[in-house]
Amino acid sequence: MRVPFEWLREFVDISASPEEVAERLTMVGFEVEAMESVKDDTVFEVNVTPNRPDCLSILGIAREVSVAFRVPLKIHVCEIKGELPLSDFSVEIFNHELCSRYAGRVIKDVRISDSPEWIKTRLEKCGIRAINSVVDITNYVLLEFGHPLHAFDADTINGKKIKVGMPDTVLLQTPNSKLQTKIKTLDGVEREILGDSLLIWDAENPIAVAGVMGGLETEVNDSTANVFLESAYFEPFSIRRTSKRLNLISESSYRFERGADIEFLEKALNRAALMIREIAGGTIYEIIDVYPVRYVPEPIKIRYDRINRILGTEISNADMLKILKKLGITTEDKGDFFIVYPSAYRRDIKRDSDVAEEIARSYGYDRIPSRIPRSPLSSGKLDKKMMNIIRIREAMRKSGFTEVINYSFMSPSSLDVIAVPQADRRRNVIVINNPLRQDESLLRTTLIPALIGNFKYNLDRGIRDIRFFEISSVFEDIGRPLPLEELRLGGIFYRDKTPSLWKEDVEGFFITKGAIESMFEELKINEYSFSSSSELFLHKGQASDIYVRGAYAGYLGVLGPEIVERLDLKKQRPEIVVFELNLDLLLTLIPDSIKYNEIPRYPYVERDIAIIVDESLSASEIKEIIRTFPSELIEEVSVFDSYRGSNIPEGKKSLAFNIRYRAKDRTLTDDEVEELHASLVEHILEKTGGELRR
Amino acid sequence: MLDIIPLKKAFLDELNSITNLSELQQLRVKYLGKKGLVTSKLKTLSTVSPELRPAYGRAVNEVKDYIEEEVKKRGSLLKKEEHKKRILSEAIDMTLPGKFTPFGREHPINKVLYEIIDIFISMGFEVEEGPEVEFDYYNFEALNMPKDHPARDMQDTFYISEDIILRTHTSPVQIRVMEKRRPPLKIIAPGKVYRCDVDISHTPMFHQVEGFMVDTDIAFSDLKWVLESFIHSIFSVETPVRFRPSFFPFTEPSAEVDIGCTFCAGKGCRVCKNTGWLEILGAGMIDPRVFEMVGYNPELYTGFAFGMGVERVTMLKYSIDDIRLFFENDMRFLKQF
Ligand SMILES: [Zn+2]
Repeated sequence: MRVPFEWLREFVDISASPEEVAERLTMVGFEVEAMESVKDDTVFEVNVTPNRPDCLSILGIAREVSVAFRVPLKIHVCEIKGELPLSDFSVEIFNHELCSRYAGRVIKDVRISDSPEWIKTRLEKCGIRAINSVVDITNYVLLEFGHPLHAFDADTINGKKIKVGMPDTVLLQTPNSKLQTKIKTLDGVEREILGDSLLIWDAENPIAVAGVMGGLETEVNDSTANVFLESAYFEPFSIRRTSKRLNLISESSYRFERGADIEFLEKALNRAALMIREIAGGTIYEIIDVYPVRYVPEPIKIRYDRINRILGTEISNADMLKILKKLGITTEDKGDFFIVYPSAYRRDIKRDSDVAEEIARSYGYDRIPSRIPRSPLSSGKLDKKMMNIIRIREAMRKSGFTEVINYSFMSPSSLDVIAVPQADRRRNVIVINNPLRQDESLLRTTLIPALIGNFKYNLDRGIRDIRFFEISSVFEDIGRPLPLEELRLGGIFYRDKTPSLWKEDVEGFFITKGAIESMFEELKINEYSFSSSSELFLHKGQASDIYVRGAYAGYLGVLGPEIVERLDLKKQRPEIVVFELNLDLLLTLIPDSIKYNEIPRYPYVERDIAIIVDESLSASEIKEIIRTFPSELIEEVSVFDSYRGSNIPEGKKSLAFNIRYRAKDRTLTDDEVEELHASLVEHILEKTGGELRR
Repeated sequence: MLDIIPLKKAFLDELNSITNLSELQQLRVKYLGKKGLVTSKLKTLSTVSPELRPAYGRAVNEVKDYIEEEVKKRGSLLKKEEHKKRILSEAIDMTLPGKFTPFGREHPINKVLYEIIDIFISMGFEVEEGPEVEFDYYNFEALNMPKDHPARDMQDTFYISEDIILRTHTSPVQIRVMEKRRPPLKIIAPGKVYRCDVDISHTPMFHQVEGFMVDTDIAFSDLKWVLESFIHSIFSVETPVRFRPSFFPFTEPSAEVDIGCTFCAGKGCRVCKNTGWLEILGAGMIDPRVFEMVGYNPELYTGFAFGMGVERVTMLKYSIDDIRLFFENDMRFLKQF
């Protein structure tokens, strides 16, 4: 709401500077968001919250200023004196529940021209374009008093009849009328009429969308001689519904949907009629006022101590009543409690908490003391899930992965880019009805596309070592009202193969795998395995599914060549490693407690074994063979070499293991170990069909 | 016996020309080895006449000890020289950079989010979470925002269907928690929220921390203490704080909380639109209507609730002027935190 300072001062005699007034208004709940100098004046941009439609006007803001500065409020006299001719118009309200008061006046023989400068200037300061004197005056009064008015060219109203109602009701009660399905509004747009929208009709046709916008055919223009001026009260929810459906917001609808002042509307009507007579001449006719549902304030009973209990203050009973009186709120003292009668322009005051706010606002939020809550002490706690997420984030960072956060959206093409099959779970997407961009119209079912995006963005900006991880939810439509939200850990690794000072030729796959394994170790997750993956977007020979305690937890792999080609990178065969894990699952597999294991007291004995086996046999398969060898003395098995090349036959590879033997209760003898190791070697050779490498 | 003397002299001559440890070792072998010159003299002892034998033996042993001693002396000297040489040859350019795997960085939003969580945990709050895709009921209706309520315009909503939306704030968690638990409650609800809005200060997704406290005797003054303590903790004890009246459908009385502008220290600048203040939080006493929706007796219980944007707090903390930076995930941005 734009408020010109000089207009405000017409209502309150204050000597304070615009800055001081702005500061006070802000502190009583009307934030002045900006101040603008316009033609020797200052215009405030006031943020009026939806509960205070009464302050969508100069008068309303002035009322707040008058309370804040303790100066009287001056309102124009809006009485029309003398005997007035009776009008020959009639008004009928068909839907009382949507329109509980409709008043109007006919003004005849006006000469419409441009408005005087002072009106134009004020409208302009408030951001409203001047049109002609009559229309400008309705807008002027709307800004000044906050009540929307509408002027019709009276000669275009068929049958001198005004009917207020929804199409269905009007048609039902006037069976002879024809079904009109469209109305052309003032903005020149032809609009479909909706069955439950409130409209204004003449004897034959709809002539305005009530409270939202008038019709073009009954518009007041320079040739208009007779005017019908409307001042009504429409139900907020109905106006809002119509405005939403027509996607049409006007100064009128904005106020009506927040709530107009049913009592004050007559004053607004008179103020406009008087201004029209003064500026455009003409004769004002007697008011037509249909007011079927009278406003009766709903009394609210409030205990004085309740207010202090809500606020944590010790405001006296008398002070409370004094504050409310200043705000123009009628009260009645009843000893322990008091009764509030909210005026028609303060329909937001419905119960004790609303009154508490009025008192607090006026008393000053800054005067309410700060108090340590008396609520019993409780130990704040971070639940296990969150603590474990913190550990996971830490583990990833220790491996050099930087955390990213991406939008939860994805593009309809994202899944095609990574070749997700049609029948895949990830195709069960949730669609946003009103996305900002088509690229962001789905909720993501995988973190990978966004991570690839992050990689590309940074690669394009010359970053050579890219390690990112993200912990976010993905969303899957599972046929229930709400989707399945699954927490995922995703990551991407890429390192440029440009010459660097310190050589490190470990493949990206194993660096990333190492990061995942060290995270597992940090979380004390030890039963996990990597087996080849069937993810289509990954390199067939360099992709693993990850199982934790036998359950599928995710995958790790190098992006397949076709996928990389689609990314259109200026790199030769880049090795881009990605992974994605189901954190909701992992979090359930982290042991709750740690139990100490005794440190071994007797020495270990080591033996190495190098064997030549088929290329297809994996290191983990051989490890598993060793693990199942029936001896409690094998403490640890580690792979220390994997080799293909000269000296090794085609289709074969050499793998070397280090085996550590130890007994819990004694020192092992050389002979004992020799014998055990020999039978282990035999066992391995038999199971793998391999041979010892000499 | 006389042949011992030239042997000693010959050894000394040879010793002088020795330049390294292996030559020294060879020299030692030549004289003292199993077939060494001195050793062989000892072996011929039996051929010496019995009366001369003790004196001869002594003389040979003296020479043997002497050579042993000299070799040792020379040996330690040579070793020292050799170490010196080796150290010189092994010198490195210590100004070359070290080989390290840098720690990955925390995303600034999560860094601040966890900081916020920590502060409230220290004040006895606990953390609860809720779904990001939410029923209209929990997001709006139960929070006193029925359909056709203008307050809904304050939050541009992404719709999945008429009744399912992307939550516009984490306040639905308030309802979900109150539906299943009884007071006293001290809860914070962090998480992602969504609004269809994008410009220099809005992104369609951002993070929020909602907090609330419900008990039989919670007042606005408790809210003031909790939020002042929080702000002094996340910014600094000197940060000015002010509460001013505002409106939220689910709180009454409602407040917006400002802090002294972190960009200009309250003097007035472009960011604070010359007011010296920046809005950081929305808060208020939980509206009795909300209590009624979850079946609490509003005569018995009172409570406060507050909500803040994590992006906003982060921007003020690190003087970041464009919210979109958070979701570009540019390494040059991320590594600064
Ligand atoms: Zn500033």
